[in-house]
Amino acid sequence: MVQINYRAEVIPEKCTGCVDCVFVCPTLAIKMEARKAVIDETKCVSCQNCIGICTDDAIVKIERPEPVEREVDYASVDQDEILEICRRANIHPMQWLCLCTSTRAREGAAAIIKGAKTPEDMALLTGTRSGCTVYCAMMSMRLLKGAGINIPPSHKWHLFDTTQSIWDVPKEVVEKYSDYFLVEDKDVFRKF
Amino acid sequence: MSTLEVASLGKAKPGYIRKSMYGPATDTGLPKMRAADLPGMVALPVQALFPDIPKAIYVEGDDLAPIRKATAEALANVDMSKITPDSSVNILTSQYGFMIMGGFAYREMVRTIKEIVEQRTGCTNIRLRIATGFRLKEPEEIIEHYELDKMFNGKVSPALYIDRAIAIDTPIGKLMGIRKIYDADYIIHVHHGELRELDMHRMISRTMKPFSMSYARFETRSVHHMNFGPRSSNLIPRLIFESPFVQQKFTFGVFMAASPQGVVGVEAGNDLMPIDRKLMLLAFKSYGKIRELYNEIKDCVCIIDGTGEPRYMVGGGTTFGNLTEAELDLFDLDTVPVSLGFGLYQPPPTQPKLKAVNPAIRALVMNHFWTGVPQMELATACPMILVGREMFKLVKEDCMNINMARHVVTAESLPAALSFAKKVAQTDKVIAFDGAYGAITCSEALADHLIKRAPIAHRRVEEELMPKWLRQRGFDPSEAL
Repeated sequence: MVQINYRAEVIPEKCTGCVDCVFVCPTLAIKMEARKAVIDETKCVSCQNCIGICTDDAIVKIERPEPVEREVDYASVDQDEILEICRRANIHPMQWLCLCTSTRAREGAAAIIKGAKTPEDMALLTGTRSGCTVYCAMMSMRLLKGAGINIPPSHKWHLFDTTQSIWDVPKEVVEKYSDYFLVEDKDVFRKF
Repeated sequence: MSTLEVASLGKAKPGYIRKSMYGPATDTGLPKMRAADLPGMVALPVQALFPDIPKAIYVEGDDLAPIRKATAEALANVDMSKITPDSSVNILTSQYGFMIMGGFAYREMVRTIKEIVEQRTGCTNIRLRIATGFRLKEPEEIIEHYELDKMFNGKVSPALYIDRAIAIDTPIGKLMGIRKIYDADYIIHVHHGELRELDMHRMISRTMKPFSMSYARFETRSVHHMNFGPRSSNLIPRLIFESPFVQQKFTFGVFMAASPQGVVGVEAGNDLMPIDRKLMLLAFKSYGKIRELYNEIKDCVCIIDGTGEPRYMVGGGTTFGNLTEAELDLFDLDTVPVSLGFGLYQPPPTQPKLKAVNPAIRALVMNHFWTGVPQMELATACPMILVGREMFKLVKEDCMNINMARHVVTAESLPAALSFAKKVAQTDKVIAFDGAYGAITCSEALADHLIKRAPIAHRRVEEELMPKWLRQRGFDPSEAL
């Protein structure tokens, strides 16, 4: 279970309307209204990307009066379905989906079974992408593809669909770079 | 080695701590007490343990002239003909360089490169780009602290992994770079040769790694760490570096070479492969024995007491991440610990890494560190004691380790924290990761142990490990002499 204790808040008088924050939000929680950023606090997972990108210091972190809890109970869905999504994504169910929140891939697969259609949906359901926002992005996209869901085109520079993995490397690349253990390292990822 | 006596060891000299919004908000931004000031802590000189580890031309606090001289000498044979007076050039740097020994050596190297390029090419449109890990405001702090705005006449900018993208075509498809990194006609790649996270790079394409990390957007960093294995992931930076897009812009690379003694020199060239080989050899010679010496520690308390995240904090000139993995020979390419993608923290039983953190680390005392990296395994694998309420607040608010605060206890002072940690760990062997190069800050009990075990680590590296490391990389033994 991911407990989100904070949220981002805009200081309108400092906001210059540059829109940078809109495209770095992992849940697309930020919109522009009257040339000022506005954050939907129900969607904010407190990753702090918007605070980090804002050169005007117009966004601050606020403690929530009550923490928001996000969790997908993987045990509540069909386990075979979880396995099938993970198998197609070449991800072991116990592999980390998100290191920051200690969320496993099986929870991501369960989120898809429960209706997640985009990486943003997955973040909102599981609470992932509330930390570094980096590593879980790829895992979410791979799981969605494993479930046969197409990733929508990037909203400006929000999130690009580049999910290459060790399983996708063309044969000629494997042969050319044989000293990079591209064949041997597949054993690292447990087969199932 | 044999003449070294614990009683003769001097007081430890910890590295400089830079204030940051990512550290604990104490009154001064600094810890109230450093580990080196604890009773019984000494400085165990690396030179005395291993006289053959390459010697430093610079350690923290020294005059910077040797850095300037070494940089100029390294650049003497570098071809800069691509750059013309009308060119625009980005000097690419990473945040970690500014953490090494207070950051002023890296700064001096950058300044020297800028001045020499200006002199030799007539180009004046030279800009500085500062990439970072997960601390998005850190480049701004670096710019201010090191007065880089002034050095580059305002032409300096952070380069963040969430910044606008540039797609780079590679043999495995498009990978995403940071546009600000590549928004000049040419780039100069300025990095360091410090060992840092051997568990990730395994000394494979070490010189190129920033091309899929520091200079890459988060999608590509994720491809590198999550989608490939511990050895194969290092192909990603090479594919980016060798792409026509990057090759068109790349001019040369400059590396601050380091050993546990300090900065040992500067390497530069238009071709990164020979530098990669040089740094590989330097790593074996420099860090191989220290790693094996750390492998001889069977029980200890670690004090984290410096600038940056714990995994990259230096003790005895070597990052803490090398102690947390010291029980594995990570220079050995046949050793396959789990990848970050699988999780480091709960590997399958068939993999050699049985515990997330070296079991020799019996307790951790966190005196001062910065947030900014997922590191839950440190708190779940061994007892963690924080020093001070400000440190607890920092951990409680850390969005990259959201549950860490549930796994720690907090002490009011460093002596109280250490006293508790020693009881829990049932050892009086203490080592501090306090940014020091040239010496290991440790308790007398650990110093005594390390003095006795150094000859064993020396022999094992010389007779068993080094020949294997060289053979695996196709080195002729004569190259290693």
